[in-house]
Amino acid sequence: MADLLLDVQGLETTFKTSEGVVHAVNGVSFGLKEGETLGVVGESGCGKSVTMLSILGLVASPPGNVKAGSAKFFDQDLLKMSRDEMRAIRGAQIGMVFQDPMTSLNPVLTVGRQLQEPLMLHLGMSKKQAESRAAELLEMVGIPNGKDRLSDYPHQFSGGMRQRVMIAMAISCSPQVLIADEPTTALDVTIQAQITDLIKRLRSELGMAIIWITHDLGVVAGLAQRVIVMYGGHIIEEAQVNELFANPAHPYTIGLIGSLPRVDDNDQRRLVSIEGLPPMLFEKPTYCPFAPRCKWVMERCWNENPVLETVAPEHRVACWADVKKERPR
Amino acid sequence: MTDNDVLLRVDNLVKYFPIMRGLLQKQVGAVRAVDGISFDVKRGETLGLVGESGCGKSTAGRTILQLYRATSGNVNFDGTDLTTLKGEDLRKMRRKMQMIFQDPYASLNPRMTVGEIIREPLLVHNVATESEANERVKELLELVRLNPAFSSRYPHEFSGGQRQRVGIARALALQPSFIVCDEPISALDVSIQAQVVNLLEELQDKFNLTYLFIAHDLSMVRHISDRVAVMYLGVVVELTTRNELYANPLHPYSQALLSAVPVPDPVIESTRKRTILVGDVPSPANPPSGCRFRTRCPIAEAVCAESRPEFREIKPGHFVACFFAERFLQ
Repeated sequence: MADLLLDVQGLETTFKTSEGVVHAVNGVSFGLKEGETLGVVGESGCGKSVTMLSILGLVASPPGNVKAGSAKFFDQDLLKMSRDEMRAIRGAQIGMVFQDPMTSLNPVLTVGRQLQEPLMLHLGMSKKQAESRAAELLEMVGIPNGKDRLSDYPHQFSGGMRQRVMIAMAISCSPQVLIADEPTTALDVTIQAQITDLIKRLRSELGMAIIWITHDLGVVAGLAQRVIVMYGGHIIEEAQVNELFANPAHPYTIGLIGSLPRVDDNDQRRLVSIEGLPPMLFEKPTYCPFAPRCKWVMERCWNENPVLETVAPEHRVACWADVKKERPR
Repeated sequence: MTDNDVLLRVDNLVKYFPIMRGLLQKQVGAVRAVDGISFDVKRGETLGLVGESGCGKSTAGRTILQLYRATSGNVNFDGTDLTTLKGEDLRKMRRKMQMIFQDPYASLNPRMTVGEIIREPLLVHNVATESEANERVKELLELVRLNPAFSSRYPHEFSGGQRQRVGIARALALQPSFIVCDEPISALDVSIQAQVVNLLEELQDKFNLTYLFIAHDLSMVRHISDRVAVMYLGVVVELTTRNELYANPLHPYSQALLSAVPVPDPVIESTRKRTILVGDVPSPANPPSGCRFRTRCPIAEAVCAESRPEFREIKPGHFVACFFAERFLQ
């Protein structure tokens, strides 16, 4: 497809651990269109972060191993690039924001120095140019007196402010893609609202595409245009955001939406819980990874791992059952 | 409301942590973690205590249970003032009030089996012999839906949700009437959160338990609580019934907090208007004068810096600490 900015096909990543090989990502394919915001949803261990780290060449090897797949970005395969080629793209054309702003900033360098580094490295700015651009960037992400704060260290900023600094770094080279891995999870709700608001503003100002990884369906509902739901290292459902919330088709997505209490909900209904635990993935699943927890499980689910099939326009689901009609597809 | 309905009455509770400095460890200040909070918890109800990190909600929970000794103020539990109790008397009272902790990884001793962990309170309080205790462990494990055969396993063999069930079983071992749940689900995955919350609700119905449910997740608090208290920087700014708070929040902080919570529904999210608060929470070591919230408040006036707004009952059962709460009355 020509209109895709990023086209990931058949990505597989494993990790060697003392207890065996963990199959973290098992054949993930998705595309990212220009300027769109793609939400990636799933619980801890579902492979959502590893997918993005694999694309960015940030999986440490060993223990990690990106075994198969391709990730086309402007006709180049990110997975086949050398370290230096990858380094030229990371931070320049693809920006990143991580969950914990304290551990992803260098505590012994000033914020100014860390902001100037990509500008000088990728854009070839002089020290002076980089300094004034860094101050601009801080103002842009809502840090007042940007110029005066360049000489501050990360610990002199609060959690929300640090995340703003991270965002300033990520957008400093005007990337086409911003990958944000749980960027608001460590923050309080009022600060989270500030950050999502900021991202929305920057998105419309800069027109970049965003991949937003989160476990919070509420954040996705407000921010994403399209959503991918991951489970056990697979994409199990993919749809436009309104379609996904209105007509979730995978039992896991249905369970996930049902298990959420809502702040605008008046009656105290019992929450629908998904019984059981997420899979350990010591073997590459030959059956549906959700089968052990699924209410609608059938014989076929144990024999064959379902593949994504289109059930409605731009809505794909990996499930053998048509849950709504209570019968096999 | 007669006094008999009230299980716990917290009256002007204060907890300061001293800040020491220098060779002689002179006290140079204090972190005012909890700075004069008052509320009642009725028998059998769940009172939600919400607020952002650092607002003092966990300290409040711990001070109520006398895990921290209060700087001043009273905690009246079932007719006894806990703040005056010491030693053996306090230890006896602890049987009636228990705690479920946030981190299921840190709150279970990794060197003890699950059976030993759940049995320990029974033996410490001398309420059961060894064999009775073992029977009781089995009952408790079944109660929290864990296989009783698991009692000889160690905590690391369990998942986060299962560990939290062990923590719940331990808290229930002495048949308490009151449990402080300190963020019991925030470390768990979404699909597991619902399992644990459903279990807590079930146990409450079964044993007529009273919960103080501390959390930062407003949607979950709305789901589980009968009444909700909102804390900001060491003080309770609003307290009322669940539906009243979510329908008519009267304190500007509660309003902002509620509007900041994302709703898992893209149709609603696209039309919602947000009140975005500016800035961060000030340090509790040096809180603003007057109203604690005034530095971030969209409607603050000069009077807010001068005196602290009284925590008053603005309409039956609805308490708020704001000079201008009347403006939002419908």
